[in-house]
Amino acid sequence: MRAPLPLEPQVEARLAEIGEVDVLLGIPSYNNARTIGHVVRALSAGLAKYFPDKRCVIVNSDGGSKDGTPEAVAAANFTTPGAILVSHRLHPVHKIITPYHGIPGKGSAFRTIFAIAERLKARACAVVDSDLRSIAPGWVELLVGPVLAEGFDFVSPLYLRHKYDGTITNSIVYPVTRALYGQEIRQPIGGDFGFSGRLASHYLGKPVWESNVARFGIDVWMTTTAVADGFKVCQSFLGAKIHDAKDPGSDLAAMLVQVVSSVFDLMETYHERWRGVTAAQAVPLFGFPHGVGLEPVNVDVSRMLAIFRQAARDLREIWQAALTPATLADVEALVGQDSRAFVFPEDLWVRVVWDFAVAYKRRVLPQEALLRSLVPLYLGRTGSFVLRTADAGAEEVETIIQDLAESFLRDKGYLLQRWSGKAAEA
Amino acid sequence: MWHEVLAEVIQKTLSGFGERLSAFGPNLLAMILILAVGALVSGALRVALRWLLPRLGFDGFADRVGFATVLQRGGIAGRPSSVVALTAAWAVLGVFVLLGIGALDLPIAMDLLSRTFTYLPQVLIAIAILVLGSLVSALVRRTVLIGAVNAGLPSARFLAGAVHTGLLILFAAMALEHLGVGRQILVVSFGILFGGVVLALALAFGLAGRDLARELLERLLRRPREESDDGLRHL
Repeated sequence: MRAPLPLEPQVEARLAEIGEVDVLLGIPSYNNARTIGHVVRALSAGLAKYFPDKRCVIVNSDGGSKDGTPEAVAAANFTTPGAILVSHRLHPVHKIITPYHGIPGKGSAFRTIFAIAERLKARACAVVDSDLRSIAPGWVELLVGPVLAEGFDFVSPLYLRHKYDGTITNSIVYPVTRALYGQEIRQPIGGDFGFSGRLASHYLGKPVWESNVARFGIDVWMTTTAVADGFKVCQSFLGAKIHDAKDPGSDLAAMLVQVVSSVFDLMETYHERWRGVTAAQAVPLFGFPHGVGLEPVNVDVSRMLAIFRQAARDLREIWQAALTPATLADVEALVGQDSRAFVFPEDLWVRVVWDFAVAYKRRVLPQEALLRSLVPLYLGRTGSFVLRTADAGAEEVETIIQDLAESFLRDKGYLLQRWSGKAAEA
Repeated sequence: MWHEVLAEVIQKTLSGFGERLSAFGPNLLAMILILAVGALVSGALRVALRWLLPRLGFDGFADRVGFATVLQRGGIAGRPSSVVALTAAWAVLGVFVLLGIGALDLPIAMDLLSRTFTYLPQVLIAIAILVLGSLVSALVRRTVLIGAVNAGLPSARFLAGAVHTGLLILFAAMALEHLGVGRQILVVSFGILFGGVVLALALAFGLAGRDLARELLERLLRRPREESDDGLRHL
């Protein structure tokens, strides 16, 4: 019997007052006073419009903000129901504002939200980011509706994105998780999810809350756990996702290490689950997918390829530890290509990723150093992708991404052999 | 008459020698026996380690932590496991040599033995400092190399090599200083070397290359803005 997560005394008192709810919406936060008010109002409006007869609560799990984020949450109220054609709610929307404890990070914030959902016996839950500028009341229906009305346990978001957005997702996370677990969840690390109370309790029971999941790996962990542990999953189209502007100096290497290490860690956890998967199936999609023309984006391909070429020379000894001799030779053969016609073949990229997954598992190098050395290879592949899709529309780009995902599944035998150590390291 | 005195002296000398030999002989024999056993044990240890270490993956480990590179650069041929086996064998033989000297039971030998065992912990600590230095410098070199390549610095290899060499020199100096070998000369030389290098770099960068320095700083400050101007969003 798992011990319940201890909560602040005033939160415990509040939970006793509220009793039980049907819908719980969670917002993790840290210094988001500028944006969180809009998120709370959007969620309140969504609950008023789409679930007026349900008992609802909005939970803010805060990491010790110093800019008045909890006060902004407390003050945010949706006061114009007429604007979205809502009359009145049958039940008030409760609010719980609580600090979270544990390792600083989104995962720990989610853990508190899961614990509150369990205590309140919430039937359906959703979590959204606190800096969303594009959130609309309809998101509430799209994240919670499939759980309440259709019996799904996990709702993954599907956003409208520029063809060059999410290149780590498109070239690594989506193809890998699709090939491993056999579910076509297009954006596994979207960040805004819906889930059932049952799944929230399941998450709480996992022994991950002192690991990197608590720090930065919660998104891919939630998706992978839901899929791998056999829960009923679907997707909802939410439209564009516009965040508050992040630090422009965000480190690509740090992002890639965090995301890919989470994916590779889960490969080890769920090895027995994914090794038998040989096909991928479509996942039900809710919402109304649409596309709009997006502004052109400047990408410095020459810089990417320059880093790739330099790494082929300077990181050879490190890549030798991760890649098979054949893969390394094929990567090195790319260096001499003309920058304007640079091609990083799909099958080679698949082998690179699978080789790194095996090297990660075998601890051939400190794991962070290993994944940091993947960055130039990722930049080479991304540069190739950008060149190939320069004049392509969104549909054509999506076809290319799906072809890549299929390549990962097709070459899964290579991964299985190397993973079990049966393949000769040719 | 003097024939008898001569015979008596010779007889006394020989019997005295015989007495001293019979007193010292067992010690000498003990020393020879100890050395023989030592040779056998060290030989057996060397064979055993040369068989065992490769099977435990020691050569791969030595390669990863940069120990193999250090040996190569030091002109030591052969696999790391062979080098370690040979070193261990010589260390064991050295211990038996000391024991053999102790078996002679001579005051000068006992004094030498005593000093050796007093100094031995310093040697072990110095070896530990060198091993630690090798590991740390290899780790830092790799980190700097990957970081510099990912940042697109053209001199990534040179930078990583310089950091690696600098750390190795630092740890070697610490080991020698701990052993008390040329302590003052070491400290002064180290200070002059590092201080000189830093001063030279500061002068070159600040005076002779101040236009270059300004350009580099501007480029470094401009780079985060350029990277953010790159419209790609990776996640």
